[in-house]
Amino acid sequence: MITVKNLHKTYPGALEPSLSGLSFSFPKGRIAGLLGPNGAGKTTTISILCGLVRADSGDAQIFDLHQDAHHRESIKKMIGIVPQQIALFPQLSALENLTYFGNLYGLKGKSLRTKIENYLQRFGLEKNGKKEVYKFSGGMKRRTNIIAALLHNPQLLILDEPTAGVDVQSRNMILQFLREYNQQHGVSILYTSHLLEEAQSLCEEVAIIDQGRLVMQGQPLQLIQQHPECRNLEEVFLHHTGLAVRD
Amino acid sequence: MLRLLATIRKEWLLLIRDRGGLALLFLMPLVLITVMALIEDAPFRDYQELKFDVLTVDNDHGRLARYIKEGLEHSGQFTLVDSLDGKPVTQEDAVRLVNAGDYKICILIPKGATAAIVSNANRIVNDLSKRMGLPAVQPVKSRNDSLNVLIYFDPAAKKAFKSAIHQALDNFLTQIETDLLLERIKLQLHSKEADAADTFAIQLKAVGLQEQVTGPTKQINMVYNSVQHNVPAWSIFAMFFIVIPIAGNMIREREDGSLLRMKLIPGSYLALLAGKMLFFVSICVVQFYLMTLVGIYLMPLLHLPRLVLGHSYLPAFVIALCISLAATAYGILVGTLFKTPNQALSFGAISIVILSAIGGVWVPLEVMPPAMQFIGHLTPLNWGLEAINDLYLRNGGFPEIIGNAGKLIVLCLAMLYLAARVEKGRIS
Repeated sequence: MITVKNLHKTYPGALEPSLSGLSFSFPKGRIAGLLGPNGAGKTTTISILCGLVRADSGDAQIFDLHQDAHHRESIKKMIGIVPQQIALFPQLSALENLTYFGNLYGLKGKSLRTKIENYLQRFGLEKNGKKEVYKFSGGMKRRTNIIAALLHNPQLLILDEPTAGVDVQSRNMILQFLREYNQQHGVSILYTSHLLEEAQSLCEEVAIIDQGRLVMQGQPLQLIQQHPECRNLEEVFLHHTGLAVRD
Repeated sequence: MLRLLATIRKEWLLLIRDRGGLALLFLMPLVLITVMALIEDAPFRDYQELKFDVLTVDNDHGRLARYIKEGLEHSGQFTLVDSLDGKPVTQEDAVRLVNAGDYKICILIPKGATAAIVSNANRIVNDLSKRMGLPAVQPVKSRNDSLNVLIYFDPAAKKAFKSAIHQALDNFLTQIETDLLLERIKLQLHSKEADAADTFAIQLKAVGLQEQVTGPTKQINMVYNSVQHNVPAWSIFAMFFIVIPIAGNMIREREDGSLLRMKLIPGSYLALLAGKMLFFVSICVVQFYLMTLVGIYLMPLLHLPRLVLGHSYLPAFVIALCISLAATAYGILVGTLFKTPNQALSFGAISIVILSAIGGVWVPLEVMPPAMQFIGHLTPLNWGLEAINDLYLRNGGFPEIIGNAGKLIVLCLAMLYLAARVEKGRIS
């Protein structure tokens, strides 16, 4: 269960708040989407959930644990995060990167090696494990970025735009994996994206946020049905967030 | 422990794939030390070690000229040149050549100089004889003309050089005056009493000068030369230059998101920072000893003096460690404070160059104005250099380096604390 209650956050020096009383909740074991235009507060919300940023007020809970100094380490153990950035060392190979991050999780030896090899194979990277990451294509980097978040078997996987800038094949592989991973291991997935079509096909439940507030929440099909004039989730999204370009 | 070891391994892999960084850490100091030691060799050499051609114009042709010539040649510093193209050097030639900088110095011994000294000695002996009731029989000149040995210096000659030459010639003049005086006394006392005068001469030489070692051990009289200054000084400079790879590495980690991932993984970030620090401290220590080997083995191959280490090997390791800690902490602070590699690398490099200039790396602090000396004593590079000099030149040990080592450790802790505060502020 991911619960966010009345979150407020204004960054030092910012004129506008990033979050203005944001609240939503997703049940455990589901693939949930957090959608919104640029500057809506998606990354800030994820950062608060991960403990990277402190909220000015409000409450964020993951599996009934409040995100505070007391529970921060416990929450980190339960979650795997795929940041928007390719959070890898470009000069190291995929194998070296994954071994390093595995070691940081306390994993080592043959079990870690086997796990890495399995994931590399699953993501079609088995022949490129020893190649430096800076030589990878965008899709290969994204896939390696995801593997790094899976090594410690998290209960919740948070992905911040995991398919940004990748080709159709890589995107398809990533989305297919996420579905399988959710179904086979019962892992909860929280996912953000600008690609509404992708969100509609992947997510069982979505929350649309704008200007730091929740606009609407529900299953994609339900949301579309609630708006007879809209044919898909993207039109619902535009209906609520407007056509004005965001910075 | 696994986190620490994994981080050290990761830093090692990153470093060995960064050829530019490796060159900066190991090749740059090697080149710097070699070039600076060669360039500064001559200015660092004591004038006693250098040999000069000295033009001599001898218009006296007496004992004074002989004494001066013998004395100068005996010192080993001077090669006397009294003829050019087979002709005796004239005053006009000498002045022209020295003024043009072709020769550093010319000594002109005036006509009648020896006679004047002999006459003066005779006058003293006669005066003493009269007071003792003996006849004054030594011939003296009726007029006591004042004669000077003339010295011409190259206008570009340094003050220290001039005063060294003045002092040497003064010594020769005093010596010949004393010798002639004793000789005249001998003549006055006649040969049968010559032993008494000899005793007097021996007594005159009985009190001399002897330089003593000031350090705790009775070692060598260490000469502060170009190698002895430049090898430790530029090694410390290079160790502090580790700010560039550390800050660059930290900012890259922040920019490429790997730092974000490290922070998202449970466990203390301090362990990761400790691993990074341990790795770069080790690199600094390796740098220090590699440069020491350069001083010992490479410098003599370039006809430069060999680096002398003193006897305190453990204290030298400790101070190398303290310098490395301060340098690494500085790198972490710069890497934390600045947001872009350009800012951090420019600031890091310029600040190290300035600190090294102030701290006595380029030229010893002693030759700087008092205000700069005061500022120089506040820089960590100077603390390190002073401690090394205490060990290598002054034969010191732990008691001598404890102050500077303490300052480096305190600075290291202060910089790490500041970096931690800034980093914590970013999260909040």
